[in-house]
Amino acid sequence: MTPVVQLEALEKRFSAGRMEVHALRGIDLAIAQGEFVAIMGPSGSGKTTLMEIVGCLSRPSAGTYRFAGRDVSGIDADGLSRLRGEQIGFVFQSFNLLPRLTALENVELPLVYRGISRRERRERAGETLERVGLAERASHRPAQLSGGERQRVAIARALINRPHVILADEPTGNLDTTTGGEIMTLLDELHAEGHTLVIVTHDPLIGDRAPRHLRIRDGRIESDERAA
Amino acid sequence: MILESIRQAIVTLRLQRLRTFLTMFGVVWGTASVIFLLSWGEGVRQMLESGFTKIGKDMATVWAGQIGENFTPAIDRRYLWFTREDEEAVARRARLATLVGAESELWTVVGFGQRAFTMSVRGVEAANFELRSVSVASGRPISRFDVQHRRRVAVLGVKARDRLLGAEGRVGSTVRIHGNRYEVIGLLERVGTQLWRDSAEIDEQVWIPITTLLAIGPRYGIDDEITDMILFRYPGRHAYDAAKREVRSILAKRLRVSTRDEEAIHVVSAADALKQIPIDDMQGLFLILAVTTLVIGGVGVMNMMLDSVQERRSEIGVRLAVGARRRDVVAQFFLETVAMTGIGGLAGVGLGIAGSLALGSLEVPDVVPIPVLQGWAVATAVGVMTGVGVLAGLVPAWRAARVDPSLILRVE
Ligand SMILES: Nc1ncnc2c1ncn2[C@@H]1O[C@H](COP(=O)(O)OP(=O)(O)OP(=O)(O)O)[C@@H](O)[C@H]1O
Ligand SMILES: [Mg+2]
Repeated sequence: MTPVVQLEALEKRFSAGRMEVHALRGIDLAIAQGEFVAIMGPSGSGKTTLMEIVGCLSRPSAGTYRFAGRDVSGIDADGLSRLRGEQIGFVFQSFNLLPRLTALENVELPLVYRGISRRERRERAGETLERVGLAERASHRPAQLSGGERQRVAIARALINRPHVILADEPTGNLDTTTGGEIMTLLDELHAEGHTLVIVTHDPLIGDRAPRHLRIRDGRIESDERAA
Repeated sequence: MILESIRQAIVTLRLQRLRTFLTMFGVVWGTASVIFLLSWGEGVRQMLESGFTKIGKDMATVWAGQIGENFTPAIDRRYLWFTREDEEAVARRARLATLVGAESELWTVVGFGQRAFTMSVRGVEAANFELRSVSVASGRPISRFDVQHRRRVAVLGVKARDRLLGAEGRVGSTVRIHGNRYEVIGLLERVGTQLWRDSAEIDEQVWIPITTLLAIGPRYGIDDEITDMILFRYPGRHAYDAAKREVRSILAKRLRVSTRDEEAIHVVSAADALKQIPIDDMQGLFLILAVTTLVIGGVGVMNMMLDSVQERRSEIGVRLAVGARRRDVVAQFFLETVAMTGIGGLAGVGLGIAGSLALGSLEVPDVVPIPVLQGWAVATAVGVMTGVGVLAGLVPAWRAARVDPSLILRVE
């Protein structure tokens, strides 16, 4: 089967003034449908950069990236927007909810840009909120929610389009251990339901919950292990 | 999709009440000030223009003088005068003088009952009423027959009437002019303050037939029917110079002087006087003030908008991440800023127009300029303020949406 994500000799360079940062230095990686991958590595090793490229939020400097078999270098900006909206779900460390919208409206957002009718949006957003256990918080704004609840809203937003892959960059980084554990349980469940999951984490305990571990150092893959 | 953008825009505006209010206030104030300033500038212009043309719209006055020293040896600098035949020649031959009249002035004693004043008594022809753009408020004007028959009839200006007859002065009263009795056959309507005049304002004058005036006695010791000035109307300001040239050449030939001798034949009009006044500079000043206001207002609005977009970069990032295209983001910001500056602009127009109308309706002396609303001023003010607001909201949003979403999302 075609892997969802397939990177070959992928590189990413940033030019910061006169300096050039070589954030990714040749990454080869394939992630299959239904996998749960934890990416770990020291700070500055390139984890977020890798997630950004996988999530089509930025483009590689060299190498090829195939998403679901399709080379993304041939897709224009609008096409990437569409790809992100329909086939990728993001969960960020700092939640990144829109403060002016209610929980329900935040979850709806990806549907808005797909031009789905308001009624259907309401319905699906409601169901998805229920799935993450936040049905009663639908009309709350982010400021009225706890950190764990916010992250659940963000996960619901990532889930609503039933994406090919959910990318979570340190989803528990801003949460205490208990709440972080609950979020991980939710992600475990999603994996069990068949979702493809890639998470970045610093916490070995959290990383251990994923069947596949990827270690990155200085922009290179140091190890790629699968639990038996 | 559009509806959705509008809805999101409204939500944002509601939740950012203070900023929305301040930005709108800037737009309202800027728009209103500019409308007011430009209207007032136009008011000043019109006030000047009307003040200068109250002596007679599109009317030029021709005086006879002395032969200029560049045109003849000093001993032969004879004095010149016009006769009514000269006037008739102009009337007959000058194509660009559409209306011609003669006028002579005598400062003499005018009395009524126990009162007597020295006043400017004008000998006029029937055409002079139209030339001076003034008609009678009551009674009748001086007619061709009055002139033909040297009738002792008089028409009084508003101030002359007030001084002489008192405010209730009526047509039919008898006044004494230079010792003779004249019947008051008409009262002139009020002309108002003249910014340009010849020796006295029309409101202060007493008009009698020119023939009657000439009969009072020889002028300058000469028996001819001498007239102090020839008045003519030219067909609009653009034609003034040509009309002037034509009239001058006719008169120069008759008086046997050079057509270039401006001392011999002196033609003046409000157009010449207006040329001396830097009206355009004045309007320029108002324009500069208005532009400054626009710039200051615009910078204020721009600042607010830039701030707002800067603060909302992460929102742009999130929207791009969940599937918004650049144009969706730009459209949203566009609608927001259009709503904000549009409402502000409309309110500003309301305020500016209301202010101008309110000032315009005040009773003020006619030399105090009042704002005169200008459609183009309103359009400019609204256009620029709204344009600046929209651009300031749009450009940064467009720029933010142009880079890789990862760059926006990374900024905290
Ligand atoms: N836009 C950018 N311009 C310049 N350098 C950048 C840019 N983005 C990332 N970098 C650099 O790329 C390298 C990798 O950064 P990245 O954020 O991927 O690290 P990370 O592994 O996610 O670290 P952390 O665990 O601290 O989040 C770093 O050295 C970083 O400074
Ligand atoms: Mg990172």
